Amino acid sequence: MLRLLGHRLLQLIPTIFILSLIIFSLQHLLPGDPALALAGENPDPETVAAIRARYGLDQPIFMQYLYWVGGVLTGDLGLSMRHNLPVTTLVLQKLPVTLQLAIMGIVLALVFGVVGGVIAAVRRNTSIDYAANVVSLAGISVPNFWLGIMLILLFSIQLRWLPASGYVPLSVDWRMNLATTVMPAFVLGTAIAGIIMRHTRSAMIQALESDYVRTARAKGLSPTVVVVKHAMRNALTPIITLGALEFGALLSGAVLTEQIFAIPGFGKLIVDAVFTRDYAVVQGVVLVTALFYITLNLLADIGYILANPRLRS
Amino acid sequence: MDASNPPPAQEPLARDDRASGSDGAVLTVNDLRVCFAGDRTTTTAVDGVSFTLRKGRSLGVVGESGSGKSVSSLAVLRLLPTDSAQISGEILFAGQDLLSIGEKQMRNLRGNQISMIFQEPMTSLNPSYTVGDQVAETILRHRSVSKAEAWTQAVEMLRLVRIPSPETRARQYPHNLSGGMRQRVMIAMALACEPQVLIADEPTTALDVTIQAQILDLLENLKSTTGTAIVLITHDLGVVAEACDDVIVMYAGQVVESGSVEQIFSFPQHPYTVGLLGSLPRLDEERDELVAIGGTVPDMTQPPAGCRFAARCPFRIEKCAETPPMLEVNPGHTSRCWRTPLEELADEF
Ligand SMILES: Nc1ncnc2c1ncn2[C@@H]1O[C@H](COP(=O)(O)OP(=O)(O)OP(=O)(O)O)[C@@H](O)[C@H]1O
Ligand code: SF4
Ligand SMILES: [Mg+2]
Repeated sequence: MLRLLGHRLLQLIPTIFILSLIIFSLQHLLPGDPALALAGENPDPETVAAIRARYGLDQPIFMQYLYWVGGVLTGDLGLSMRHNLPVTTLVLQKLPVTLQLAIMGIVLALVFGVVGGVIAAVRRNTSIDYAANVVSLAGISVPNFWLGIMLILLFSIQLRWLPASGYVPLSVDWRMNLATTVMPAFVLGTAIAGIIMRHTRSAMIQALESDYVRTARAKGLSPTVVVVKHAMRNALTPIITLGALEFGALLSGAVLTEQIFAIPGFGKLIVDAVFTRDYAVVQGVVLVTALFYITLNLLADIGYILANPRLRS
Repeated sequence: MDASNPPPAQEPLARDDRASGSDGAVLTVNDLRVCFAGDRTTTTAVDGVSFTLRKGRSLGVVGESGSGKSVSSLAVLRLLPTDSAQISGEILFAGQDLLSIGEKQMRNLRGNQISMIFQEPMTSLNPSYTVGDQVAETILRHRSVSKAEAWTQAVEMLRLVRIPSPETRARQYPHNLSGGMRQRVMIAMALACEPQVLIADEPTTALDVTIQAQILDLLENLKSTTGTAIVLITHDLGVVAEACDDVIVMYAGQVVESGSVEQIFSFPQHPYTVGLLGSLPRLDEERDELVAIGGTVPDMTQPPAGCRFAARCPFRIEKCAETPPMLEVNPGHTSRCWRTPLEELADEF
């Protein structure tokens, strides 16, 4: 097991190196000259040169990369040209918001997806199974922005139960925090719940038809023990990996949902940064989400190994 | 051996007798019928099977693939899918009909009074739990003992089925064990609560020949030490000759012949049994499946009228278009064939 883990960790080195190259070169792939953009209308060459020097844009690319990597390693993600603030500060500001939404979304998705998938498998080919299938298909295929708008129309405008937009930090008022995050979290969770439900259902059906489940029933165990202890234990291991990947996707991909609910998270930060060519911010956000993704993947692999006696020993 | 299902007028007393178990019967199956309802067709997998398993004896069940051996045994434990399988008949065990007791009562019997082991030792154990846990689980389910006590008993069971260093093995997972070892674990699990009946569905088919012999030997030994009656399902007449006291021969969902091992092997009465024995390789050769009779098993969605073996039978006569009853040849020896007794026809074959 330790060997497997060591192997897995070694693999991270090239992954992270390639990742850093891609993220760094992002700024050279985006069109336009940031120094020009920053200098305003009709800039004189000296101002532009000063800006270049200040942000290191006059150095050779190789040096720029090294500076950047050195900064990243010391927690310095550069300076946002637009906000005139360290990118690290911006990222740390927005991270809790996105993280909270992602956690709420994935928890909702796991609860509904796993419970729904297990019930659908146990009651397969009954009306309950068909209903669960329709719901999961709806969850997968309804676009997030549409669902978000519908929720706002219903709960904010019609019923006036929840605020339509904005975000109140948890530390300020937990009730308002919940009120402002429950709809976006639900929107984010439904799509993933649908995917998790389908995977859970098919894995559970396979497990329920397996020989070891027949053995468990032949021992006189109750249906609950057979389903929970024997079938789910094996069927849910792949769901660990799926859940981690989807969680990673939530951390980076909530752009539309954050826009609709005017939530000041990573999504909004990166959209604004792209439109204003605030490269350092784009790089910083992409880097942080990518690192999250890699870490989650690693944790998922460790979880998978721990859940699987064949790999553990 | 009362494996017959004669018209009630012929033998009403004998049937009552069986139901009360006064002839040492632990398990009596009467006129068992299992249908699977498909989308368009209905498969009659088991069609009027009757047999009696007596205390301390082992009953061999032989027949080609698809003859309904597994379905019959799964029906006894009521492990068939409840949504598609329709079961009728009587399964008498300890004075009650297993087909009419509640599901909870049935669960209390499974693994406790009636156990089953399966053909595929590689997949029949749960890969996520240690084998010791899996044996102990059965004990914990049916006995009021502590976890520690169940574990000790589980290790003892592993020792009983002759798994070397059982303390160490108990803490291992199925993937650490060979097929033969896993089948021993299955047997330990099945016998942990000292059941009255053990149903072994082709327990050695997936194992290689030397391991097969060891497992059969083990079952034979355990039968005499624990008194558990065994139903041994197999393709292999050689296994029956070695390990069983009584035999039923199944064909297309029906019992076609039943009797003691001596009766069936010395005076086979049904043309199908004769064919099987004709195809029996000598015991010193490697054994084969029962495929040497020409033709194939009938389609069980539309079983033929009359004798089901007729299409393959060299002794066929006109009367065979009618369904033959189980006829008694000798006490305890019955055959479902119009031309019973078959002795005088031996030259024709
Ligand atoms: N769950 C099921 N649904 C529908 N048909 C089934 C089901 N289980 C078994 N059958 C059918 O019942 C018939 C008898 O099958 P069974 O498994 O009892 O045969 P068998 O004698 O055990 O054969 P084998 O030697 O191959 O194990 C077969 O035609 C099979 O296709
Ligand atoms: S009843 Fe007729 S067809 Fe059937 S086995 Fe006997 S002789 Fe053959
Ligand atoms: Mg079978």
